[in-house]
Amino acid sequence: MQHVLIVEDSATMRSLIASTLEDLDVPVKITEAASGFEALHCLPRDPFDLIVTDINMPDINGLELVSFIKSNATYRGIPLVIVSTEGAERDRAKGMELGADAYLVKPFEPEEFCSVIMELLAQPKQER
Amino acid sequence: MANGNGPDRDSKAYSEFLSEAEEMLERLRGDLADLEDQRHDGGEVNPDLINGMFRSAHSLKGLSGMFGLDAIAGLAHHFEDTLDGLRLGRIALDSPQAGMIGNIIDLFGTVMASLGNEAEEDQMNASINELIANLEAGGTGTEEEDSQSVPRLLLDPTLMRALTEYEEHRLNENLRRHRIVLLVEAAFEILSFDEGLSELSSSIREVGEVISTLPSPGAAADSQIRFVLLVASDLDAPAMTRHIDSPNASVTAVPEDTGAASTETPAPAEKLEPPKAEPICAPPVHQQELSSLLVQADAPAPPPSSSVHYEESTSSAVDEEDAPHESPPPPGDGGRVPEEFSSLKSVSDTVRVDIRKLNELMNLVGELVMHRSAIGATVRTLSADAATARAGEDLGKTYKGLSRKLKDLQSSVLELRLVPLRQILDKLSRVVRRLRRELEKDVILELNGVDTELDKLMVEELVDPLVHLVRNSFDHGIEAADERVAAGKSEQGRIVIDAFQRGNHVVIQVTDDGRGIDPLAVRAKAEKMGVIVSGMELTRKEILDLVFHPGLSTRAEVTGTSGRGVGMDVVRENIKEMGGIVTIDSDLGKGTVTSLTLPVTLAIIQSLIVGSSDQFYAIPLNAVLETLLIDANEIQSSEQQELLNLRGEPLTLRSLSDEFGLPRAEDAEQVYVVVIGIGESRLGLIVDRLEGQQDTVLKPIQGPIGEVRGISGATEISEHGAVLVLDVAAIVEDTLRRRDLR
Repeated sequence: MQHVLIVEDSATMRSLIASTLEDLDVPVKITEAASGFEALHCLPRDPFDLIVTDINMPDINGLELVSFIKSNATYRGIPLVIVSTEGAERDRAKGMELGADAYLVKPFEPEEFCSVIMELLAQPKQER
Repeated sequence: MANGNGPDRDSKAYSEFLSEAEEMLERLRGDLADLEDQRHDGGEVNPDLINGMFRSAHSLKGLSGMFGLDAIAGLAHHFEDTLDGLRLGRIALDSPQAGMIGNIIDLFGTVMASLGNEAEEDQMNASINELIANLEAGGTGTEEEDSQSVPRLLLDPTLMRALTEYEEHRLNENLRRHRIVLLVEAAFEILSFDEGLSELSSSIREVGEVISTLPSPGAAADSQIRFVLLVASDLDAPAMTRHIDSPNASVTAVPEDTGAASTETPAPAEKLEPPKAEPICAPPVHQQELSSLLVQADAPAPPPSSSVHYEESTSSAVDEEDAPHESPPPPGDGGRVPEEFSSLKSVSDTVRVDIRKLNELMNLVGELVMHRSAIGATVRTLSADAATARAGEDLGKTYKGLSRKLKDLQSSVLELRLVPLRQILDKLSRVVRRLRRELEKDVILELNGVDTELDKLMVEELVDPLVHLVRNSFDHGIEAADERVAAGKSEQGRIVIDAFQRGNHVVIQVTDDGRGIDPLAVRAKAEKMGVIVSGMELTRKEILDLVFHPGLSTRAEVTGTSGRGVGMDVVRENIKEMGGIVTIDSDLGKGTVTSLTLPVTLAIIQSLIVGSSDQFYAIPLNAVLETLLIDANEIQSSEQQELLNLRGEPLTLRSLSDEFGLPRAEDAEQVYVVVIGIGESRLGLIVDRLEGQQDTVLKPIQGPIGEVRGISGATEISEHGAVLVLDVAAIVEDTLRRRDLR
């Protein structure tokens, strides 16, 4: 069972991402966080196998969350995907620089999303 | 997922999208009103407000794209661009593009409403393209000047990397204003950091702007989390430390990169001059109020106040205080919990439920109630027979226990459907704010009883009628300032909305202190239009009631405010559909009161079951005032109508048999009269038998019977099967009208 954390302020987008993940070939368990703060609460509670985050959110933004995760010894190994709307090229570059493993543009094709996710989940854990 | 391959329009995600989009539009409308207020008050605009609007547009774009709604996504894209330009300072607030924000939001509303209707959707796409063309004609704004003569800072590169484009812009904007950039670091217990961090951020916002909040590893203990806040303020580090006054927060100034040319860097002495007018930075007077409010936010919430004076705060801040403006807090903002705090709360404490699920639940409860009635009948049968009396008694006890629990269940489910009127009353205060600007009339709106609760479905339906009534008062009721002064009134007009519960009904009154309605003018118009016969005898109330007549309620001249083709007749029709009534009263020269009387819920109703001839009917108990057993000779007949002298007042009678064309019971010496009333209208309904009270679940009837006036639906009753439920409002109204026209 792969445990995925979805960080996204839009409830609809959260369920869309969740339902896409549920269609994967591997069984996934999903935890949803509606803000960066909620994500910070979720992180220490469970060992996640993957994090999917938006950038534009209230309280702390996605980049700040990525920066935190990727500079934290406990979480830095978790693969992280940024899902954000087009038109924020500078933010995209920054996200990758901060250590995000992939960046997807909304609206995304489910196939593309799934193949990126499967690739990240397939990496052996020690290499993460 | 784009291009029409998105999730099905029947999917759960799609309906979630619709409701979320609606919420976002509502928030955008509110933000826009606040924005206009802030501009109107002459202050600068809070950057967080525009950024919040940007986020909404951004989400709308992403979501509509996911559902393949390309036209909407396109509109959202341009909307986002406009707001992005505004928040990054590329577009000025007084530019034509910014002026179109209201139009864009309105168009979104219309487009969302047309979804699912193909013909309309096509037309909408045309409107969208037109609006986009207009936006594009306005250009994309001037390039930002962020890099110009701004001092450079020695900031930790990790921190710089985590700044979004917007946050970078805010940093530069603050530097350009010669504000001091500080880092505030604090560690919190990870389990409860939200609260401490919110408190810290709010405290900083009193004297500056929080540009970015970066969670960082490296806290002393594993159970802690450390945050670095990038802050801009007029206070220097020691002053900020004193202001925050917290032992676990440390403040350091961000040193400037001395290698860079920074001729514009202000000398330290200048930095210490008193804070300039800044919207972000609340004036000192408010500081204490704000911090005391924050303390309250941590304490258990006080019982909600049932009276809110929305407009008072703004108007007094603008008109009476002579302070140069340091933006007064937006109306109604005084007690608002800090944003992060409230958004977290709402996520953890509430569950959003589709109203249809509540309906299903309600139906199930209704069916249980029916079964209970059947058990009750069995109890009576068993108890009546000596052989089974013992079993009857035992079952009777169980029946009573079941009844109690069922009643609790029923009221709990009912409660779930009830929502405070606050939601829609807030909308009205925004309507008034907008009208105040558009019509340049000084009018305040006072809301009382905002916590009065009503069925969710009805609350939604009430928006249009109430907006219409408020618009009417604003546009036609309240006079121009000079006219008011000449009439000896205060220059400022006043609209008051009172909501309160009266028995099983909720009453909402809209009162204005305007010019009132002239009964003579109404009468003259009604006569001219042939609505009434010339010279007909009518009471003042009856004349005023004529404003609800379709011919009279639509004004000949159409104004932008209330002349939208919707008249008072539509208001009455809408309210009637909800089982309520509208009455109007007016004092010429002094003002008008319109009262809406509505049942609290439409879901489960207690009914009085009556019989006439061989038929049974259910009368909603909330409309029953009393039942009487009278001698037939007490009924007085005059001019084809029957009257009863009820404690000195004449009560119009109507036989239920006559109403539905049933044979009338022959020469009974005594008859039952059920006195029904809604609002201030009364009617005595003559019936043959009273059968007792029952809980009934109203179900709509399909087919021709559903169209019969005087019937609002059907319900199932264990002993009698399906019986018809009387539409009391229609019967009362028809009978009284028949009397009037006679």
